[in-house]
Amino acid sequence: MCADDEVSLLVIVVDVNPIWWGQQAQREPEFTLSKCLDAVMVVGNSHMAMARTNKLAVIASHCQDSHFLFPSKSWRGADNGGDDASSSGDGKYELLSVANNLIAEEIRNVMSKSEYKGNSTETLLAGSLAKALCSGQEMKSRILVIKAAEDCARQYMNFMNVIFAAQKQNILIDACVLDSDSGLLQQACDITGGLYLKIPQKVALGQYLLWVFLPDLEQRSQLVLPPPAHVDYRAACFCHRNLIEIGYVCSVCLSIFCNFSPICTTCETAFKIQLPQMVKPKKKKLKQPT
Amino acid sequence: MASLSEEVLLVVKKVRQRKQDGTLYLMAERIAWGPEGKDRFTVSHLYADIRCQKISPDGKAKVQLQLVLHSGESTTFHFANESTALKDREAAKELLQQLLPKFKKKANKELEEKNRMLQEDPVLFQLYKDLVVSQVISAEEFWANRLGGVTNTDPAQYKYKQEVGISGAFLADIRPQTDGCNGLRYNLTADIIESIFRTYPAVKQKYNENVPHNLTEKEFWTRFFQSHYFHRDRINTGTQDIFSECAKQDEKGLKSMVVQGVKNPLVDLLSLEDKTLDEGYGVCGAQPSTSNSNRTVKESSNYAIIKRFNHHSAMVLAAGSRKGETPTDQASETSSTDGNSRDSDFFQPPVKKVKLQEEYEDLQQENRPKTVPLNLKKSDRYAHGPVPLQSQQYTTSQDIINSVNYIQHEMANYKPNLTQVLSSTVATSAISALSPGGVLMQAGAQQAINQMVPSEVQGELKHLYVAAGELLRHFWSCFPVNTPFLEEKVIKMKSNLERFQLTKLRPFQEKIQRQYLSTNVILLFSQWLRDWCW
Repeated sequence: MCADDEVSLLVIVVDVNPIWWGQQAQREPEFTLSKCLDAVMVVGNSHMAMARTNKLAVIASHCQDSHFLFPSKSWRGADNGGDDASSSGDGKYELLSVANNLIAEEIRNVMSKSEYKGNSTETLLAGSLAKALCSGQEMKSRILVIKAAEDCARQYMNFMNVIFAAQKQNILIDACVLDSDSGLLQQACDITGGLYLKIPQKVALGQYLLWVFLPDLEQRSQLVLPPPAHVDYRAACFCHRNLIEIGYVCSVCLSIFCNFSPICTTCETAFKIQLPQMVKPKKKKLKQPT
Repeated sequence: MASLSEEVLLVVKKVRQRKQDGTLYLMAERIAWGPEGKDRFTVSHLYADIRCQKISPDGKAKVQLQLVLHSGESTTFHFANESTALKDREAAKELLQQLLPKFKKKANKELEEKNRMLQEDPVLFQLYKDLVVSQVISAEEFWANRLGGVTNTDPAQYKYKQEVGISGAFLADIRPQTDGCNGLRYNLTADIIESIFRTYPAVKQKYNENVPHNLTEKEFWTRFFQSHYFHRDRINTGTQDIFSECAKQDEKGLKSMVVQGVKNPLVDLLSLEDKTLDEGYGVCGAQPSTSNSNRTVKESSNYAIIKRFNHHSAMVLAAGSRKGETPTDQASETSSTDGNSRDSDFFQPPVKKVKLQEEYEDLQQENRPKTVPLNLKKSDRYAHGPVPLQSQQYTTSQDIINSVNYIQHEMANYKPNLTQVLSSTVATSAISALSPGGVLMQAGAQQAINQMVPSEVQGELKHLYVAAGELLRHFWSCFPVNTPFLEEKVIKMKSNLERFQLTKLRPFQEKIQRQYLSTNVILLFSQWLRDWCW
């Protein structure tokens, strides 16, 4: 263990999209949101137990907003001494039991309070990541994202901004994906130097988290971990949204097209292209007899 | 063939070449040899082509002269006239020695330039070796785009060499050594003498006047070092020294230098003074004395030393700025200051006043190139960015309501149950998936290509890549083909490319296939070769 008292923060961003989890509970009753949160708590406890200076934060990412599950506003630290909520019978390290109780309480509040309004079914992951970045300012931190629902293309801009901000601040973004591959998270992990893993068995989430995502950056270099996946960085053209390898880019607005057109449809700039010169067939001159 | 207008400078009979008797002719621009009895020249070399000449050593029986050409060939002439062989050869050799340097310059410059370029850039050198030495393209094509203007540049530029300046300490370097018995030994080298002459033309003048008529060189220098002119304190200058005039001239020169001043408007030497800070923090009662009479003895000797020092430095600088001055130029000194230096050049600073009036670029209004203003009509395209359209799963609102209710119901009574997070079977299956060889670890089995292939092969590949790039550049530069010259060039380049593929790429590919059996590597190379070259 490192001798210096360097504070190391782990922020776990959990995707608690109620629609996806509701459907998941009906699909696969042995792995529900409760199980997922249990696994998250195990990892959180383990992280805090690794060193006294390790800190934990848990953010729940919902369709409508993001909540800090831990540390929460109601946590008063030592003020709660004697509270029966903090004394569990198994002699656990008090910090861990307090944390677990708080997380449970908060998630109950979050899930019960949300009245579903509007028709947004997407997780606001970019916002949660932004909150995570803000909380990890003064110390060495990393973010672990546990993703359930699909990517939301509308969050692309915000997402990329968050990723680059994390890269600038040397904050790792790891991703543990439960269901469908997420291109955005793959890019995030590639850019910031984190690990991306799509797990084959959801019920083994706890094991995957402990094995792959618990060690921090220095420790990872000593371990044999899943190799980084090949990230598809191909862009999609603006006209058809197909992935292309070679395309045309407007020099004014930087929009990408798969076919050439003399006018850019985004910014309506006209382009003048020089066509290759036609070689006119030469008429043969008759040689004058000398 | 000899043209009638060529001037024949020397004819040497009975010169053998390749065991044939004949006559050697040295003409204005070339050297030629014709066999006995025949009118034609069988051997003819321009002086420009000759790199150097060699002669056989004096003791040898055969008196020979060898000409080495730039191309590496050599021709040997054997002077077979029994009586005059050596004389003939010497005559020929001396004539050649005079003529060759005149013709040498033209040809060498280009070659030198080429050599220099090849030496400076190892990549270029490698390219040259790959393409020209192996005869894929000819040397002219190779140099066609590169030299671009060697012959066009001003030849005077190449003659410009930096002149060696004068060391400021040249006088101090003549360290006198004690001779053992009350004498001093000064070591004077030609360099030091030259420095003295360049810095102090007055001394040079004296030298020219007195040596060798009145004094020998040794005596002149002895007197020089004995004179007070040389020594630090030049207080008594009234002796019959031949150098007393020099001292007077120096004084004059220094005065005129001071009078001339510095013409630089940004430098104001007059505002510099020796200000003594008195006890009153800068307020000092008595004015500093500037007239000679008030000086103490010590002050005046300091003054003399400093004056001497300044003068010496000024002379050294002035001598250094006198470029290419020939020794015979002394008579035509157009100095406006003193007889000692051409300071007019030195004290003419760049006209800074004009520069001050010039506008500073930074403070002017920026002249940015004209740009097209951005005017987005469909900015929502950026919201999703260059991300492919993914099939959205359509959920009915009923589904949504159901799911939400379900999950709310589930989480309402959530209690963490941390002892039941994992079962052992599940955990072991996860561990096996994560262990080397497991499901999730497959991608790591592929090593990076650059670790599998040794560096020489990589290096060779790089050279081939660069060479292929060069050929392709030549090929594509011919388009559009609108002249017959370009047409020819295109056809030639195509054949060059084919030849390159045959001689270089195929063997390389086969070598890779033989040595490295890994299919990945072979696939990669053949794909690269295919894509890149064809």
